[in-house]
Amino acid sequence: MSPFGALRGQLLDAAKTFADAPSDLAGILAGLVDDVDRALREELEIFPVCHHSPASALAMARRLREKQPKVIYLELCEDMRPLLDELRNCRLPVALQAFGSELDGFPAGWGPLSVVAPITEASAEYQAIAYALDTPDVEIVLVDRSSDHVFQWLPQEEPARPEEDAEDREEAALHGDAVGVEIGDLRPRFAELEAHLLHHGKVRHWSEWWDQYVEQPLSGADYDTYRQVMVLIGSLFRRLRPAGDERTASDEDRERYMWTRMREHLAASGADPAQCLYVCGAFHAASRVEQFGLASDAPPFDISPRTATRWQYGLIPSSQSAIEAQFGLASGSVSIAAATWNKALTRGGVQPFKLDRQKEGRRRKRALTPVAQAQVTDRLSGFLAKPPALDGLDEAELLGWCVDIVRLARRNGYLASTADAIAVFETSILLAGLRNRGRPTPYDFQDAAVTCIEKDTVPGRRDVRRLCEILLGGDRIGQVGYEALPPLARDVFDRLEPLGLDLSKRTLQRALLNLDAQPELVPCSRLLWMLHYLLPEGALKPIMGSRRLGERSVQESWDLWIGRHQREIIELGYEGVSVEQVLEQRLRRTVWDSQATAAVALRAVEDAILFLGGRRVADELGARAVELLAAERTVDDAPEVLRRIRRLLAHYRATEPALPAWCEAFVTVGYAQYCTLLPTAFVDEDTGGRQVAAMLGFLFSMESFALALGCDHTQLELAVRQSHPEAPAKVALLWAAQSQLGLLPMAELRSRCDELLANPLVVPSFPLYIGGFVQALEPVPAMTAFVVETMSKAFARLPDPVLLPWLPKLITTLRDQAPELVPVLIREAGRTFPAGLAAVDSWVPPWSAPALPKAPAVAAVAAGPVTGLLTAHPAACDAVAALLGCDAGWQVAAPAADSAAGHGETAALLARHPGTPDAVAELLGLAG
Amino acid sequence: MTDDMLRAPAEVKYAEELDWLESVDDGPKPFSWRLSPRMVRLFVLGSDRSDGLDREISQKWFGDRAFVERSIVTLASDRGLLLIGDPGTGKSWLAELLSAAICRNSTLVVQGTAGTTEDHIKYSWNVSMVIAKGQSRESMIPSPIMNAMEQGMIGRFEELTRSTSDVQDALISILSEKYVSIPELDDDNIVFAQPGFSIIATANSRDRGVNDLSSALKRRFNFVRIPVVTNKRSEAEIVRFRTTELLRRHRIELDVPPTLLDILLQSFADLRAAAASATSDDERLESALSTAEQIGVLEDAILHGHFFGDRTLRAETLAGSLVGSLARRSPEDLAILNKYWHGVIEPRAKDGGPWQDFLEGGRQAIATLS
Repeated sequence: MSPFGALRGQLLDAAKTFADAPSDLAGILAGLVDDVDRALREELEIFPVCHHSPASALAMARRLREKQPKVIYLELCEDMRPLLDELRNCRLPVALQAFGSELDGFPAGWGPLSVVAPITEASAEYQAIAYALDTPDVEIVLVDRSSDHVFQWLPQEEPARPEEDAEDREEAALHGDAVGVEIGDLRPRFAELEAHLLHHGKVRHWSEWWDQYVEQPLSGADYDTYRQVMVLIGSLFRRLRPAGDERTASDEDRERYMWTRMREHLAASGADPAQCLYVCGAFHAASRVEQFGLASDAPPFDISPRTATRWQYGLIPSSQSAIEAQFGLASGSVSIAAATWNKALTRGGVQPFKLDRQKEGRRRKRALTPVAQAQVTDRLSGFLAKPPALDGLDEAELLGWCVDIVRLARRNGYLASTADAIAVFETSILLAGLRNRGRPTPYDFQDAAVTCIEKDTVPGRRDVRRLCEILLGGDRIGQVGYEALPPLARDVFDRLEPLGLDLSKRTLQRALLNLDAQPELVPCSRLLWMLHYLLPEGALKPIMGSRRLGERSVQESWDLWIGRHQREIIELGYEGVSVEQVLEQRLRRTVWDSQATAAVALRAVEDAILFLGGRRVADELGARAVELLAAERTVDDAPEVLRRIRRLLAHYRATEPALPAWCEAFVTVGYAQYCTLLPTAFVDEDTGGRQVAAMLGFLFSMESFALALGCDHTQLELAVRQSHPEAPAKVALLWAAQSQLGLLPMAELRSRCDELLANPLVVPSFPLYIGGFVQALEPVPAMTAFVVETMSKAFARLPDPVLLPWLPKLITTLRDQAPELVPVLIREAGRTFPAGLAAVDSWVPPWSAPALPKAPAVAAVAAGPVTGLLTAHPAACDAVAALLGCDAGWQVAAPAADSAAGHGETAALLARHPGTPDAVAELLGLAG
Repeated sequence: MTDDMLRAPAEVKYAEELDWLESVDDGPKPFSWRLSPRMVRLFVLGSDRSDGLDREISQKWFGDRAFVERSIVTLASDRGLLLIGDPGTGKSWLAELLSAAICRNSTLVVQGTAGTTEDHIKYSWNVSMVIAKGQSRESMIPSPIMNAMEQGMIGRFEELTRSTSDVQDALISILSEKYVSIPELDDDNIVFAQPGFSIIATANSRDRGVNDLSSALKRRFNFVRIPVVTNKRSEAEIVRFRTTELLRRHRIELDVPPTLLDILLQSFADLRAAAASATSDDERLESALSTAEQIGVLEDAILHGHFFGDRTLRAETLAGSLVGSLARRSPEDLAILNKYWHGVIEPRAKDGGPWQDFLEGGRQAIATLS
């Protein structure tokens, strides 16, 4: 006969009395009692828990001391077991993390996968873990599905990531975007049920309801009452969930999984079920799956094999606010639970289990006599029938809070005084009375403090509500101890030790490195630069010093925030054993990515040279850059490609005896590639002038190198001839290219520009031509003087309606697209224009000055036997000339002595000042 | 009795409910309160089945329970209560309900204006009596606040921040010493506050910076900030509740069609969202778009339909009232409404139904005003 028979009958009667018609009510009420009965009769003792519940933790501590179980089965991902031993090196709260970056069997878009299970001190699971790890001959077995299964059981088409929460507190981001798993998730799955409970409980949020209606009544309850009530609540939430709840199937599978694992373990180890304890959420304690119970003869659950995803495990720091944010708890609730736990410990005399910080060899033996499981008796009826025992007013505690909140408020800019402390005290008691509570809860106190202290404005950064949360425990942030860190993180801390800073501190620290005076800090600096590259923004920031090709910092100054970014460093540890290895992997991954471009690969080469040194990785990445360049069909990245390859070539020429093979390949491939793409780029509307200019820049500046490596100049000429752009800027670029190749004389270019300026129909688009010419300075630097000339002409001749709107546009375009070319232009302009104001009036622009008489076209030829022979017998040359179709005839060259006349300017100078040459001739004894 | 008044105060209107609550109230009552704090809460927020009462108490103020609880305990403590919030959030209504529940008198009100003087807060003199009999308690005219002190009741001060700072500061001594001295009299020259006296003041948060409260006065008040109701369900309840009351006052029998109520709520929600995303005041309606304003629009439409229409509420009339009430500035407000009508209402009206009529009515109203 079930001990709950009487209660069952009573509930059924109630259902009959209150339900208007035959309904499910009787089934639900009777089912609740049946679930409790079933869970309590189970041979394997089930310990139902709720997450972050001090009452659960207290009951667990008491029960463990009483029962002294030999095996503890815990609802936690089974693959996280090795991490538990490392908890002793940490300051809680920390989170156990499983991290999978090399995905196999999951959609690629999900990666990297991350599962976190936060552990706080005020939790039943920590009590169980501490007991099991510090008591000899006790085994703890994690029985829940593995991290791999967490993702296997997610719907494959949906993204696995939880929704980004607009959480502004940075501590809340401690878990990143990991999927959280929790032991004892106990909350109504039925939104209406939760709303109903909150409404009738006259509370604002779930944590407050739980605290008032479950936590407080259970904190002093005996073990049987605790168990029965928790299973009852678990059963209630289980039965009152919506029919189509998608989590139901997954929950039941987890229960099957756990029971299957427990049975397997019991069979393998031969442990006595009476000496075992199964710790699971109250929701699972009321399970009705067929595998429930050791006596069940249902076949074991078919556990799917794990995917080939490689999982890495580690501990990351967590915080109370991160837990609240991740699991949707009310702000401050975990802090309040921690405060309640500490208070219960001091008041109730319960000795909690705590992991010894020492090494394993120094374990203390805990010898206690176990107590057998008592006969199940009905404690539910009494608990449900009796009004909740009101906790008496703890005046000292409340007074302490009131005084402290006023002190804290003053520190945060509020004009709070002792009078406010008195008012808060009084209001707390009144509010608690109004809400049927004997003792003001932290939530009442918070409301009272807000009422009495908060005025129309918040003077500082934090309002009174937040101050109350800080006061009632604050946000405790955990830290993973050195021993529990992955090798990479330990290595980082070791290698940064010469800096002499305590990097475990969560505050911002400034590191000053004088690399000349302290060469031993050079490796630190290198590591810092690597971390700067690898870690997200904010973890460390260079204030002074830089790392670029061809540069070396003498002094560096860094803002380090390593302690606050411990999680990121730990997660780096999942990718490799050393920072260098991780960096190498990341660089490789970047260049082999499907979206990678040649510019990305060149950047990776540069980073490899900067951070890793050596040729091996850089050469490998460079070879990939060549492949990517050859495969590219767009020239969007041409400016960056040009900039980077120039920088790399300069670096190699300065540091290496010979250029790496990939550089040569890159130049030849690039030459051929850009020659091929040039005609298309000129006409393609989506390709900007900057890109075309960069292509031309590549072709012209690398030409000599490319020709030496076997490329053909004709290819470039053909490409330019095939280009027929229509956009003015690109036409200007083409003219520049033609001029560089000698296909367009400067005089003709000048006359074309003059024609454009003279044509009123084209004048409005003239600024676009100038834009093209400015871009052309990159590939054809010799055009600088011409560009200055054209711009000056434009300023002089363009009508105001065209000129004035164009000027600001010119400045922005120059700044955006050609910042590096502006100094060149300004220098040239400085050379061209007069320096002083006085000279302007009489100044004649060089292009307007009358042209100097042209020197004879015939070049001077050095005298010699060949010249003599040809001059003596001109008929042979004339015949060849006639054959070739040249009819100009033989021209007699000026005598060698007059060869100076070939240089027009020199000749003009000498002609103007004949005195000097005469004097020189006289000195030399030559006749005038 | 309520029939003789255009608008009966809460204690008259709900006299029967209050009497009943008083008769069943066995909770501890602070000072001379007529109801215990729990019953006051019940009166304001209405009863549930779980309260175990024999009759249902209707909800009269819609908002967070915690605000009401905080207000009640403040009145039971030593400090005054200052309800602060945007216009139309129900501050004065809450103050009236609290006074009615606590002392059955919500009429001891001082209205704060730029012309309010210290006499309005303390006392003044009946000049002819002073001339005839000299200064005495008989010739003194006590202010509502002084009356509240003498009778141990709740005094109300509406729009506290509209009155000047020196006038506001007259409250400091009343709230701390709890007496008013009358130096003009030789004896019997102090009026002491009886137990139960407290003050509920209201302040409009949009008036911030006009006449800021001194720190000394701030200290003597507990602030309870009442936010604008944004929850559509609560808002619908408020509008329905208040409109029913207004209809009863006008003796109009009319049921507001739920679709029209939805249209009204939706339009206000849209306009609020637009105001929130606007970058300058010119792109924002001058109206605060509060719940009270919605009630005003609905009332206007009902009255218009009743007296000039076919005694029903039509979407066109509602649109006309909405435009008429919200278009305060020309052309800024009209431009915003015009944009809203074309950008938001027009696409909705494509499906026909009441939105179509609403569109037409609004267009006409905008055309008339432009």
